[in-house]
Amino acid sequence: MANSNLPRRIIKETQRLLSEPAPGISASPSEENMRYFNVMILGPSQSPYEGGVFKLELFLPEEYPMASPKLGRICLDILKDKWSPALQIRTVLLSIQALLSAPNPDDPLSENVAKHWKANEAEAVETAKEWTRLYASGV
Amino acid sequence: MDSEDDMHDANDMDSLDDDYYSEESIVASDEEHNSGDDYDFEDDTVEITSKQQPSKGSLIVRPPMRIRLETGKVKRDNITVYVVDGSVFPSIVAFLDRKREQGKHTTKSKSPELRVQHYTVLSEADIRQLQEDDTTRVSNVLSISKVSASILLRHYNWSVSKVNDDWFADEDRVRRTVGLLDIPVVHFPNLKEVMCGICFESYPCNKIISAACGHPFCSSCWLGYISISITDGPGCLMLRCPDPSCGVAVGQDMINVLVSEQDKEKYSRYLLRSYIENNRKTKWCPAPGCEYAVNFVMGVGSYDVACNCTYGFCWNCTEEAHRPVECDTVQKWIQKNRAESENMNWILANSKPCPKCKRPIEKNQGCMHMTCTPPCKFEFCWLCLGSWQEHGERTGGFYACNRYETAKQQGVYDECEKRREMAKNSLERYTHYYERWATNQASRLKAINDLQQMKSENFLSSLRNNKGHLQIEKLTDKYSMPETQLKFIIDAWLQIIECRRVLKWTYAYGYYLPEHEQIKREYFEFSQGEAEAGLERLHQCAEKELQEYITSAEQPTSAFHEFKTKLTGLTSVTKTFFENLVQALENGLADVDVDSVGCSRTASTKSYGGGSKKKGRGKSRGSGSDPSLEE
Ligand SMILES: [Zn+2]
Ligand SMILES: [Zn+2]
Ligand SMILES: [Zn+2]
Ligand SMILES: [Zn+2]
Ligand SMILES: [Zn+2]
Ligand SMILES: [Zn+2]
Repeated sequence: MANSNLPRRIIKETQRLLSEPAPGISASPSEENMRYFNVMILGPSQSPYEGGVFKLELFLPEEYPMASPKLGRICLDILKDKWSPALQIRTVLLSIQALLSAPNPDDPLSENVAKHWKANEAEAVETAKEWTRLYASGV
Repeated sequence: MDSEDDMHDANDMDSLDDDYYSEESIVASDEEHNSGDDYDFEDDTVEITSKQQPSKGSLIVRPPMRIRLETGKVKRDNITVYVVDGSVFPSIVAFLDRKREQGKHTTKSKSPELRVQHYTVLSEADIRQLQEDDTTRVSNVLSISKVSASILLRHYNWSVSKVNDDWFADEDRVRRTVGLLDIPVVHFPNLKEVMCGICFESYPCNKIISAACGHPFCSSCWLGYISISITDGPGCLMLRCPDPSCGVAVGQDMINVLVSEQDKEKYSRYLLRSYIENNRKTKWCPAPGCEYAVNFVMGVGSYDVACNCTYGFCWNCTEEAHRPVECDTVQKWIQKNRAESENMNWILANSKPCPKCKRPIEKNQGCMHMTCTPPCKFEFCWLCLGSWQEHGERTGGFYACNRYETAKQQGVYDECEKRREMAKNSLERYTHYYERWATNQASRLKAINDLQQMKSENFLSSLRNNKGHLQIEKLTDKYSMPETQLKFIIDAWLQIIECRRVLKWTYAYGYYLPEHEQIKREYFEFSQGEAEAGLERLHQCAEKELQEYITSAEQPTSAFHEFKTKLTGLTSVTKTFFENLVQALENGLADVDVDSVGCSRTASTKSYGGGSKKKGRGKSRGSGSDPSLEE
């Protein structure tokens, strides 16, 4: 089983994520595969995503931490060329939370939203709120 | 950005007079690039003289020589001296100084012609040396380690002057940006064990390695971190401490301690490449497999450079050398050719039906003068399929094969079925220019090949061409001329190769020359026609007439001497024609601007002026040439 020879680093990170979770963020490893995490991030207050809960799946590849965690379609520089092995799961999740408070239109999380954002910020905020209501609330 | 931009230069400098040089002037020959062959395509001599800064050296350069059409003689503008400040342009000056030193110990004398180049061809050893010199210089001036100097230079794209400027303006800011620290930011209290920031394992202090910042990582984590970065590409040259908040640079010294031999080698290659690729004054030679680079000094003069591998290319756009045609025109032309390539494949075919007997005639020579096989023996022009006898005569004695409208009027395009299919005038027009462009290219390659064969080791020792005939040595024996006196043959071929290149590009130029600019077009076509006619005579003489002296059993020595006079004359006449053509195009045909037509060019107005073009052409063709050379 892969879990038996899990690197010390992943074990330590997991322990800390569980014992001292960052506010608004929960990350728990799957029982079958300790490299696979279910993540939930609360939409930050004062942001268009307030009241939403964002569910993500995070996977630590074999090369982790030399390679970044895999997070599906998330546009975050530290997951790409800015990754450093000294970054951690916690730092990645905090960055995503920050991204939800202030999306960066030049590094689009969703191309559509980003386009909107540049063209008309107010309208985009409404769209984001609407999407939060429709898809990310009431968990 | 640098004041070396102020340095001007020139090219095509031939035979400078002795009085252009001060006493210290020395010609340095580039030994390590030289194959010991007297007939190198390139002539990478540099001329160095002292002026103002006797110990530093300066480059002495002139604008290209001017050629006056009306006299056919060469006149030179005044010499201009541009001083290269050793502190701004240090490595190249030092490099040239070294070349000069080498030159002093050189016994082999290069050609008496002194040339100044606006570029330097660099071997890998040269590049390493220049890089080392720059790094040492920065290290000394800023009192930092050589590794730090190298990091700094890499960030500043290897501009020593920019590094100096910024450093002395705000050293702290430069240190922060580049990641050079003088004091560590992290100190270990006297702990027995320290935790690696990547694997989270604890290690005794002596197993922990840090960059200047002190952030602790174990050696195997460092190894993984650096190897991944080296595998990723040249970004490893900008490697920083893994700690995301840190940004301290990781230099080559640390890398060499930690990684495999293979990765060290890769890193060092990236560093070398960076010196060329991140430096706007240098580029790699684009010839496949060539490992030379070229350092180019911006300023006056053309972008054409000749690499030591013999490939000539444009420093600006890295296409094949295309002087006197501009880069934009070349790009447009290349794209056009790409778009039309399917339509044009047939043009590259090596055989055409004889215009008289319709049998397919294969082109296996470089010149355009074709002779059909017996019994037909019809002599015609490969390009326009017109009779060779009438080639220069049918329009009143002047060469018109290069002109689209004239060639079309001859009705020769009907000769070929393919052409009939080309209903559209635009395609037909393009075809005219493309065929001439492509055929001159093919002819040039053939000439390079022929020359190569003549120069090859094999040729000089066994001296057999593909027909089994002895060539130069045979001539040496036959006409009791030492081999050195046969240099005129090589010179002729070099001239042919260069002229085919220029001629080829003038067809791209002609294609884009606006049709409504009537006077310019006529002047251009006249100059091009003169040059082309001259080149055909030269090429034919070097190719076919020379063969007669090699293959035939008995030819009097006096005849061979006459041949020598003829070939030498044709070489020089053709050279002049092409210099005129290049000059005219580089001036944007400005010589025929309305005001200059009437006055300064009385002697040559008859050559291209509107009404008189049908008469008196024969005379102007030979301007500046020995009448005895006229065929
Ligand atoms: Zn650090
Ligand atoms: Zn470690
Ligand atoms: Zn080359
Ligand atoms: Zn160019
Ligand atoms: Zn025939
Ligand atoms: Zn012709």
